[in-house]
Amino acid sequence: MYTLLSGLYKHVTQKEEFYILILGLDNAGKTTLLEKIKTLFTGTPGMPPEKIAPTVGLNIAKIPITSTARLNFWDLGGQREMRSLWPQYYDECHGIVFVIDSCDEERLDECRAAADSLLTSDLTLNVPLILLANKQDLPTALPPHELKERFVNRIAERMGARESGVMAVSAIEGTGVKDAIDWIWTRVQRNRSARPPMYR
Amino acid sequence: MGIYFSKLFERLWGNKEVRILILGLDGAGKTTILYRLQIGEVVTTIPTIGFNVETVTWKNVKFQVWDLGGQTSIRPYWRCYYSNTDAVIYVVDSADKDRIMVSKDELMAMLDEEELRDAALLVLANKQDIPGAMTAGEITEVFGLGQLKRRSWMIQRCSAVKGEGLTEGMDWLVSAITKG
Repeated sequence: MYTLLSGLYKHVTQKEEFYILILGLDNAGKTTLLEKIKTLFTGTPGMPPEKIAPTVGLNIAKIPITSTARLNFWDLGGQREMRSLWPQYYDECHGIVFVIDSCDEERLDECRAAADSLLTSDLTLNVPLILLANKQDLPTALPPHELKERFVNRIAERMGARESGVMAVSAIEGTGVKDAIDWIWTRVQRNRSARPPMYR
Repeated sequence: MGIYFSKLFERLWGNKEVRILILGLDGAGKTTILYRLQIGEVVTTIPTIGFNVETVTWKNVKFQVWDLGGQTSIRPYWRCYYSNTDAVIYVVDSADKDRIMVSKDELMAMLDEEELRDAALLVLANKQDIPGAMTAGEITEVFGLGQLKRRSWMIQRCSAVKGEGLTEGMDWLVSAITKG
């Protein structure tokens, strides 16, 4: 009887957990995005952007998205030596957010190479992915259509059958951030037969 | 009841005292780091038998910092201090390549403890002023930090005697702890 009741209790109170990887080159704005997500979805003030130092490790944010589900964001460092850690997180993630610094034309090729190795890994096969053209608040930012031509179209064939999208955002101002999270949330739910949530 | 009120009070005024452990092998520089943080100076230390505990205020956050001795014989007692710990600062002597695996094993054993499941981890790759010290990247790899997926972590190169790298590490710790 106790087992039955406690099982029922567990069933009613258990929460689904989805893990979302935030990747991109260093200085793309990943941690700024993470802080903005926290502010928008939980109401807790995030760290002011000017205080954010380069991430050499992992930041986690746990965002309750419905009463029974939670999105856990993994924000990994983007420096060259940190990128070798990325693959260790691939097979447990449910969705990927790839952040591009739209102002950094010089490193667009490097950025594409990073995206390329991410997309060609067997461990990310069919995992939904959204590309975020960040820093759209700055005047020097490449407009989304130009990024599409110079970046997205060249990696398009690597996308495979996964659900993918491109959005223009400003992590610092928060423009587009909510839409991006809604997008990824819808997609990880659709993909749940391939990557089922974890239970807590 | 009283606990609820004091919790509410802490929430509203935000001067919750955060409990932090400084751990690492003997000679890693734990006590030097503690006093660097507290008084901003390098003090002459002797091997810690037992512990030092001090309050450090950083960016309006009050830290209760426990610096536990690192000798082999007293490491088993670390676990007595694990409960209610918000974060662990793990200090590594980056120049001590002979004992790097010992340091790794102690860290991994510690992270397996249920009581530290949610604690954030700051790894300080100390003694970067010594030529030939391992880089933060090398230590990340040797330690296999990429396997940590359920806690926030950061590795920071530092030199406690020169006072480099500690600010960055502490700033991160504050943000990691104040995360919901």
